[in-house]
Parts: sequence; structure tokens; C-alpha cells
Amino acid sequence: MKKVCVAVSGINAVDNPGPGIGVIRSLKEDSVLEIEAIGLAYDAMEPGIYMDWLVDRVFILPYPSGDKEGFLNRLLYVKKAANIDIVIPTLDAEMPVYIKAADYLQSMGIKTFLPTKSQFELRGKTKLTEVANKIDLKIPETRIVTSYEDLVKALNDIGLPVMVKGLYYKAYRAYTYQEATGYFNKIVAEWGYPVIIQQVVSGEEMNVIGVGDGTGGSLGLVAIKKLWITSLGKIWTGVTVKNEALLNAASNFVKEFKWRGAFELECIVSKDDIYLIEINPRFPAWVYFATGVGINLPARLLKAALGLPVEGKNEYSAGKLYVRYTYDIVTDMSIFQSIVTKGEC
Amino acid sequence: MDKLARLAISEEGFIFDPVSGNSFTTNKTGLFNLKALKEGKGEEEIVQALTEKYETTKEGAEKDVTDFIEQLRYYRLI
Repeated sequence: MKKVCVAVSGINAVDNPGPGIGVIRSLKEDSVLEIEAIGLAYDAMEPGIYMDWLVDRVFILPYPSGDKEGFLNRLLYVKKAANIDIVIPTLDAEMPVYIKAADYLQSMGIKTFLPTKSQFELRGKTKLTEVANKIDLKIPETRIVTSYEDLVKALNDIGLPVMVKGLYYKAYRAYTYQEATGYFNKIVAEWGYPVIIQQVVSGEEMNVIGVGDGTGGSLGLVAIKKLWITSLGKIWTGVTVKNEALLNAASNFVKEFKWRGAFELECIVSKDDIYLIEINPRFPAWVYFATGVGINLPARLLKAALGLPVEGKNEYSAGKLYVRYTYDIVTDMSIFQSIVTKGEC
Repeated sequence: MDKLARLAISEEGFIFDPVSGNSFTTNKTGLFNLKALKEGKGEEEIVQALTEKYETTKEGAEKDVTDFIEQLRYYRLI
């Protein structure tokens, strides 16, 4: 098979890791695909730059939140320099840019396999009720607040503790009015209004990862439970589960919204109720867990994007353990030097 | 007993619930009780079997079995 050149972002394998390294490792482990992996980095210190057994070449990109034209021009430079066939973005902040530019990138010879703009907007916490209702999930009691008066009313209505969340990013648990006010101000300062005040639901925190084919079909689903998380809330160990209600809900999500591309549903399972907490329109950083249990979602996404046949196996075993670990690389300055001076290596 | 049927139980007394992702450990007596419950045996049958297998009184076995079932209920395993 012809070698496929794939650009992948999120190679920042740090304490709050991006999904890129898991995506690349999955692609390279596929038995059919022959992959050249191009890492797209935003900082010369991203560890993926130095992981040459997985990442073949690296290019530094400007931040997507800045000049959009400059960002896309840099991507076209990468296309010209490395002849990339497809790009798999994995970071929240870059998704809107890639989704908006998907047709343009396609016309320039760079494929993507992303959700549409309207699908992407479903991740907004104000949209969660609509999504949850359509796929028979619940959501915790929620208030959308835009003032201090609204906040106090929401706290009185819901009762403490509560989750204080930004519309798209950040979530804090508050046990007192003072804490809730502090987090409210913090989110407003960083992300603006509105702020979401949500009931704390107790239960098992479970997540589902999957890929939708864009016509209502699922290219694979894996459900897991996080067993141990870091102080940043990131998974360190986890276990696969076979919760049929949760997997059915994820399957309905793909079917109902004709989801295209990767996604992660974050849920809380409380007795027979499943609460939808968050939709992530991309692979999570633990994406390799699914690959490790036989459901190679990045490879399936890539094959779907290239119009290749996608394997239909969706069975995996419950009780498989995921353990993240740290590792050390010692290298010389030449890679760092090249990245800093040329923006690529 | 549907929940019991789905549990993966090892000979060392490690129990994994594939739906919740929770795992538990139990001692030999607990393992004995769990297997008996999975086979559909009733409390009285299990008490009888315990007194035959281990050096324990009927009252002691009854207390153990009742306590164990309560624990299973607490952990939502039955």
C-alpha cells in the first residue's frame, strides 16, 4: 500500500497530554496502513518532537487563536514540504479553525475527517440538554448564569456543592458560596459569560470514545472507567467496561446527529441513570487505550477519510487495564536547535 | 441475580464487575458464598454447605451469610 503522510497535532505528551502521540502510535500499529507521521507542534519543548520512533518530522505552527490566514499558510507550507495527505487535529482550540477551513484544505489536497460546524456546536454546555434528551441520557440540574444575582439564585435553587463551568472549558467543584463566587469570577475573567452552574451528581465516571462515519454509522466505540486521575483530572489508570446502556447511548448519539469524526462522551452512571457531562469533538489523550483493546479508532478514521474499507469488529473485552507512565529521553541539542531556528526538523 | 451472573470471579477471590468497572476482593468464605449464590443456591442451602465445609456453627454461618449478602447489596452487586 502507498505510504500515507499524516499530520497530527497535540504531540505535547506532558502532564496534561495532548492526544497526538496516542493517535500516531495507533496509526503506526495498524496492519494495513503504512504511515509517515508529521507532528504539528506549537512549542519547541513539546516532547513529541523528540520521540523520533513515532514522529518522523515536525513542524512548528503559529497558534490557531491568532492570525487564521497565517495558520493556514503555515499548514500549506507543511503540505508543500512534507506532502501531507491528511491532517488529524486533536486539540480543542484548533478545531473551529480546521472545521471552518475543511473545504479549503480539501481543495489544497489536505483531507480531514471532522464534525460539521453544527455538530461541533453540540459540545456547548447549553446544548447538552438537547443532546441528552435525544439519546435518552439525563443531565444534572443546570442553570446558565450571566450575573452575580443569577449565580446566587442558581446556588439557592440547586444547593451546594455545585460544579461551576465555562461554556466550553474549565470546571470547578464549589462547596461554599464563597468558592462558587470565586470560580464564577475566574471563569468570567478568562472566558466571559455565560457561566454554567450544575448539580453535582455522584456515581461512576465513565467515558466513551468513538468515531462516527458522518452518515449515522459508528466506526467503533469503547467505554472505560477512570480508576486513577492526576491532580489535573487526567486519567492515569483506567479499565474497560461493557455498560450496554452507555454504549447504546453513544451509538444513538452517532446515529441521531450523524456525527462525523472522533468524539468522547463524558458521563456519570448513577444506578440506572446515565448523566451526560461533556462532549469532546476529538480524540481524548487516552485514545491508545481503545487501540490496545483491538479497536484502532485513529486508523479507522484515517481509512474512512481515504475511502478505504474499515474493519467492522466492535468487540472488546471488559476488564482490560490502562496504565500511563512517564519516560525519559536523553538527546543532543540538534533537534531543539533545528526546531528553534528553522521551525521544523 | 443478573448482576451476579455478569461478575468475573477469580479463584484468588478477585471480583470484577464489567458494567461498573469496579473491582473487589473477598476471602475464601466470601468466594464460597459468592459461587453458591451464582449457582442459584438459597441462604439456607449456603449455611448448610458452610457448616459442612468449615468448622463453624449454624448460627455463625447464618450471620456470615447474612452479612455477606448485605455487603453485596451495599456494593450493588445483587
